[in-house]
Amino acid sequence: MHAASTAMLMVIVALGVGVYFAVRLANRAAVASFQNFTDVLTSGSDGLIQAPAGYLPESVLPELRGLFDAAPIQILPVLESSAARPRGGESESIGTRESFTILGVDLIAVQSTAVERFGGRAAFQSPPGDVRSPAAPGAAVVGHLWTLLRDPRSVWMGAAAARRLGLSPGDSFPLVIQERIVPLRVAGVFPADPSRPEVPADLLVMDLPALQHWTDAAGRLSRVEFVVEDGASRDRVWADARARLVAAAERGAGAARWTVSTPGERRAGGEKMTRAFRLNLTILSLLALLVGLYLVFQALDGAVVRRREELAILRSLGVRPVDLRRAWMLEAVVLGCVGGVLGLALGWLGAQGAVRLIGRTVNALYYSSSASSASLSPGEAVVALAASVMVCVLAGWMPAAQAAVVPPAQLLSRKQGVHPEGPAVLRRPAWAGILAGLGALLCTLPPVRMDGGTRFPAAAYLAAFLWVFSAGILGAALLRGLARRFEFLGDRWASARVALSHLREPSGRHRLAVAGLVCAVAMTAGMAILVGSFDRTMRGWISRTFQADLYLSSDGAQSASTENRIRPATWRSVVTNAAVARAQVLQVARIQLPTAESMLMGCDLEFFRNHARPAWRSAPADDAVFDPDRNASLALVSEAFCERFQLGRGDRVDVPTPGGSRSLTIAGVYSDYGNERGSILVDRGRFSEWFGDELASSLILVLRPGISPEAVGAALRREHPGLAVFTQSRLRAEALRIFRQTFAITYALELIGVVVAVAGLGFTLTSLLWERRDSLATLRTLGFRRGELAVAAALEGLLTATAGITSGLVASGALGWLLIQRVNRQTFGWTLETHWPWGFLLGLAALVAGAAFLTAWTVGYRSGRIPAEREE
Amino acid sequence: MKPTRHPARCLRPIWRVVGLLLGILGPGTEWAIGAGPDGFETPRPGRVFAFHRDHGSHPGFSIEWWYVTGHLWETNGTRHGFQATFFRRSAPRAGADGTAASPAFQDSQIHLGHMALLDGGSGRFLHQERLNREGWDAHASESGLDLRNGNWTMRWSAGGTESRGAMELRGSVRSDASFALNLVPRKPLVVFGTNGVSRKAAEPWAASHYLTFPRLEVSGTLEISGKPRAVRGEAWMDHEFSSSQLGAGQVGWDWAGIQLEDGREIMAYRMRREDGSADPFSTVAWVDAQGSVRHLGPDQFQWKADGTWRSPATGALYPARVRLDVHDPHTGNPVTLVLEPVVASQELTGGLGGIAYWEGACRVLNAEGRDLGRAFLEMTGYAGSLSGRF
Repeated sequence: MHAASTAMLMVIVALGVGVYFAVRLANRAAVASFQNFTDVLTSGSDGLIQAPAGYLPESVLPELRGLFDAAPIQILPVLESSAARPRGGESESIGTRESFTILGVDLIAVQSTAVERFGGRAAFQSPPGDVRSPAAPGAAVVGHLWTLLRDPRSVWMGAAAARRLGLSPGDSFPLVIQERIVPLRVAGVFPADPSRPEVPADLLVMDLPALQHWTDAAGRLSRVEFVVEDGASRDRVWADARARLVAAAERGAGAARWTVSTPGERRAGGEKMTRAFRLNLTILSLLALLVGLYLVFQALDGAVVRRREELAILRSLGVRPVDLRRAWMLEAVVLGCVGGVLGLALGWLGAQGAVRLIGRTVNALYYSSSASSASLSPGEAVVALAASVMVCVLAGWMPAAQAAVVPPAQLLSRKQGVHPEGPAVLRRPAWAGILAGLGALLCTLPPVRMDGGTRFPAAAYLAAFLWVFSAGILGAALLRGLARRFEFLGDRWASARVALSHLREPSGRHRLAVAGLVCAVAMTAGMAILVGSFDRTMRGWISRTFQADLYLSSDGAQSASTENRIRPATWRSVVTNAAVARAQVLQVARIQLPTAESMLMGCDLEFFRNHARPAWRSAPADDAVFDPDRNASLALVSEAFCERFQLGRGDRVDVPTPGGSRSLTIAGVYSDYGNERGSILVDRGRFSEWFGDELASSLILVLRPGISPEAVGAALRREHPGLAVFTQSRLRAEALRIFRQTFAITYALELIGVVVAVAGLGFTLTSLLWERRDSLATLRTLGFRRGELAVAAALEGLLTATAGITSGLVASGALGWLLIQRVNRQTFGWTLETHWPWGFLLGLAALVAGAAFLTAWTVGYRSGRIPAEREE
Repeated sequence: MKPTRHPARCLRPIWRVVGLLLGILGPGTEWAIGAGPDGFETPRPGRVFAFHRDHGSHPGFSIEWWYVTGHLWETNGTRHGFQATFFRRSAPRAGADGTAASPAFQDSQIHLGHMALLDGGSGRFLHQERLNREGWDAHASESGLDLRNGNWTMRWSAGGTESRGAMELRGSVRSDASFALNLVPRKPLVVFGTNGVSRKAAEPWAASHYLTFPRLEVSGTLEISGKPRAVRGEAWMDHEFSSSQLGAGQVGWDWAGIQLEDGREIMAYRMRREDGSADPFSTVAWVDAQGSVRHLGPDQFQWKADGTWRSPATGALYPARVRLDVHDPHTGNPVTLVLEPVVASQELTGGLGGIAYWEGACRVLNAEGRDLGRAFLEMTGYAGSLSGRF
């Protein structure tokens, strides 16, 4: 029994630590998949510039060379785009197909960099077998060389990608670039080389002008990277160059022409993008550990009781209280360590599953994430282990103090438990009020704002913690009331009388069990309320927003950060189709505002109002914004944008474009649950004028009455195999699927919370009955049968659980409100309508109560066999 | 490297580079230079050169280079050597439809550059190679001397001509050293060869137009390890263009550009054959004080190794001290010139080009050890035979 309970405790600690560790590892992996692909070729550049919006024109290149004034800096222009395998016969589910980043670099110039950086070895090798014809070997080689360079289909990849695609040099394979299916050809495979960064399996490399050709980006660059040549003056050269870059960025009219950063800063930018999401996930992952804290507390407290004789003997033998206390704390530390190590193993396993779930969310909301496995991080492991030990030490503190201070005489008196009523704070309902009030005050505080636009609702989380704790106190206080409420049962059944007698004077163990249960129930139900509300809101939004008949995008668009667009010639041929009554052409660009990144979209605003039926947070005061003749400096923004940049209707926002900065007035604010970076909507005419292109990110079609969307969709798919065509119902289903997929990890965490809470309850009852083995023996002597003992225990368990469930559900209501109104709004800027998932809440209550009843019954039944400590 | 002595040889590094670059040539692969003229021009006897135009690029020819080597002194007497080379190579014309090219990233020509600096203060030899395509970051003007390859540039300063004015050269070796030099011709331009054509081998197409400023006065700034210093000195500049092929049976070559204290210069090259003998197209050319050229055949000079140096980097054994016994057309007497490297280690180890060669500053002594002037010496084909590789 003793060994079993210790083992169980360790498992609970391990579970708590494991969940935390798994989520942290998976988070890391999802973030790590955001990388600078150019590192593969350059081993890391010193700096880079990017346009604050759209692209950099090639004309900056000679300017940069002049700017550096003969400084030994390699200037590497980069064009980055995305691509995916064509669907073939597969479904059109977004984000389910292999997608790639295509890097366009100057393959000749980058060679100098690679040779310098990698100690004289070139980056390209792997001769395809067919290059030399026996007749004229030399000519064939030369001919082939230029054929490769001049063939825009030539693409290079790492060994991992070649394996993944099952390709060898010389092979052809199709890929969707923009919205056309391009037959590419493997020109070479980078050899695996331990001295270089591994070439990711989702990276393809092309000669820069070839990629410009396929992406209709003649004269355009995604960014320019700089590699300062090694040597004695390297640091000074870069410091001087960076200063020149910063100064030159301001040259010209209006906003900065480019932003200067380092690859590290760019990576950090990728991390910032997902930081809010990851922080919230981490907090959730602590749920199981928090419940674990209650359980460890209880268990150690129980152990003090169980081993009171041992303690008393030690005290009488002259062992000092401080040594006893140390020994006790040591036990807590050992528990933390062993449980922690177990947890690390569990967490690492769990992370492999979690990483896919998190990766999918990152993919859907932020950028293309290729994470498929999480690697062990020593840093995270240390933190998790420390957390485990800390929780155990924290939980062991009071029992250890008790063990040390209670005089031997009292310890030896079996009638007197150590502190039978448990921690003082759990016995004073006033504390519940104070903590709840404090939490309410915290709710009024704004979130912590970090750079990059991340907001972290620290005060709200603290309030949640206080409320959960306060609910725990209340739950404990409920025990006595419940006992009185059900006293009539005691009048009829002896078993009930026994059970109620325990609850009328609840022990510390009871109170702790309730508090732990409250914690788990409140948090699980609170999350359920949030998710339920989210689901309801999303469904409403989806059915309002997706009103048109057909939705088209590039078939290569597989993540939120896709660069796949529809070329003007293609979308023109689609929208002029005789079946189309009205069409919306959407253009999108990521833009860098002074504090954070956001999205600029160009579309027909009138169409947006009529066919997407936005839910207005602040409706436009008049129709000017919908009229292309009057909306030159007007914009609509999403709610998330307002929250992120702390702007509202009537405020002005300066938007960078390749043609210079544009000052826009916010005419209205609409709800949008598509992204948390926020969107600015402007008239598409202006957008294409500012950005100098008409590449569309998606098309929305309203068909003439009586025409079947399915038939038109099928025809469009045949005509443009590189387009993904969704009917209204299909897109709605797809949007909901992606949304629910992003919550998959949340469900998993909830489930673990419930499991820990129920296990904890069983554990509590077991230890309670063990402590009461004398009175059990007495009851048996008095003629109680095992079945009756089991019923008594089950009733006790059920009532204890009821107290926990009741208080937990009440707290979950408060938590739900907090998550919806504070945490979610402050973090993501999404207003949700509150929805109570009654079914789930009832089910949860029934599940916990049922589990408690069953566990307690089993424990009670088995307790019939526990031998008495000593015969009375 | 100074493949001048045999134009086609200078292709080697370029082709090697491109081969590595595009992943089609494994180590030891046999390759060929572009088969035949491929529509490119061949040197024409009697060509009338027009300047500035002919200081610029000649894309009608497939191979071209501008090659500056020189000796620099600080005011405190510290001696340095430098090399700055701009190569240009045309791509085959066939098969270029321009689909995968743009003005900024062309597929018509590539530019290879070599920079080297002998830091006389520390004895360190620094060198670097760079490859670029014709476009925004590498270009050779067709209207006059105006060369770019990354941050390396060379051009006439404003208002300068071939007879008056100065060239500006800016070069660097990584972040270790850089130089900004003014080069003023002290002698008129020399055209080597017969009737404007310099023959390189028995094959009739193996020839080039070979233009040289044999003595340039140099002044400017040299920065080593972040410390700038004023320098003065003298340099030699070759400009050569051709479209030619190699002859067979040659394993390498040695070349020297010698500047004598008496105001004369000597350009010498020896094509080495498999049997160790010198090819009949080896030559020594004397440039007198007025700039007139006199060519001597292989029977009128002897090039002997007078000491060796083994490269720790490549293992190549270079005959790095050279004794040149040559007929002096001015006095009519034989003279002995000993080329003694200022520092033994002046090997360019060939990361990008894949070919190592030795090119470095030398003192020029007579048989008695008296100082007669200075030279740049080039030795190729010692880090593995070049035979059969092109």
